[in-house]
Amino acid sequence: MEGSDTYLIRPNHQYKFKPAIVKECIREIVRERLSGMRYDPEEVPELSRSLADCIKDKVKNAGFDRYKLVVQVVIGEQRGQGVKMSSRCLWDADTDNYAEDVFINDSLFCVAAVFGSYYY
Amino acid sequence: MTAMEEYHSGSESSFHSEEADNIVKECIEGVVGNDDYSQSLVNKWTAGIVERCLTQLVKQGKPYKYIVTCAVMQKTGAGLHTANSCYWDTTMDGSSTVRWENRTMYCVVSVFAVAIA
Repeated sequence: MEGSDTYLIRPNHQYKFKPAIVKECIREIVRERLSGMRYDPEEVPELSRSLADCIKDKVKNAGFDRYKLVVQVVIGEQRGQGVKMSSRCLWDADTDNYAEDVFINDSLFCVAAVFGSYYY
Repeated sequence: MTAMEEYHSGSESSFHSEEADNIVKECIEGVVGNDDYSQSLVNKWTAGIVERCLTQLVKQGKPYKYIVTCAVMQKTGAGLHTANSCYWDTTMDGSSTVRWENRTMYCVVSVFAVAIA
């Protein structure tokens, strides 16, 4: 992303990071790739990496210009254990936002989060 | 205007993941230490770890926005994988992931630092 001379310090309303749209993007991809999958320790590293890349590409093409994206995908085996995930962000709450989705089936669980940070 | 330019050209402009690793390790040990996994305390732990990491990172005073995520999982022999994909400026932005464990649980903390213009 090259720096350019713009005097826009806030995105217009239609170019703002919209969590609802991004959540839909995440949901479609995760449901399509993981429905009916079983946890397989050989495949999962590759699967989580490619899921993260897919989600990043889809959100990039959804047209959020001047947004830097961070996509994190966590896939774990379901064995009745307790898991807790949390996150905190130090950013500009007017311009930046995040979206996440959780998918569970009987053999695995998957959490995908996308954070968008505006590049002034 | 000129004051802004001086500020940016003076500071080093890349993310140091080793420093972030040390900060995160200390924060985890400070909050969880040698405790055993407890369903009732896990909320407090994840919130505490994340908040502590964030305040320590901000104390460095660098021009970055931070995203800190923390996952705490009980040890039952189950597997866990995390993956990240980032669309950003690779010269200035960076991330660091720390995996920590004790007898009864795993803790994975990821820090993402995004430069401000």
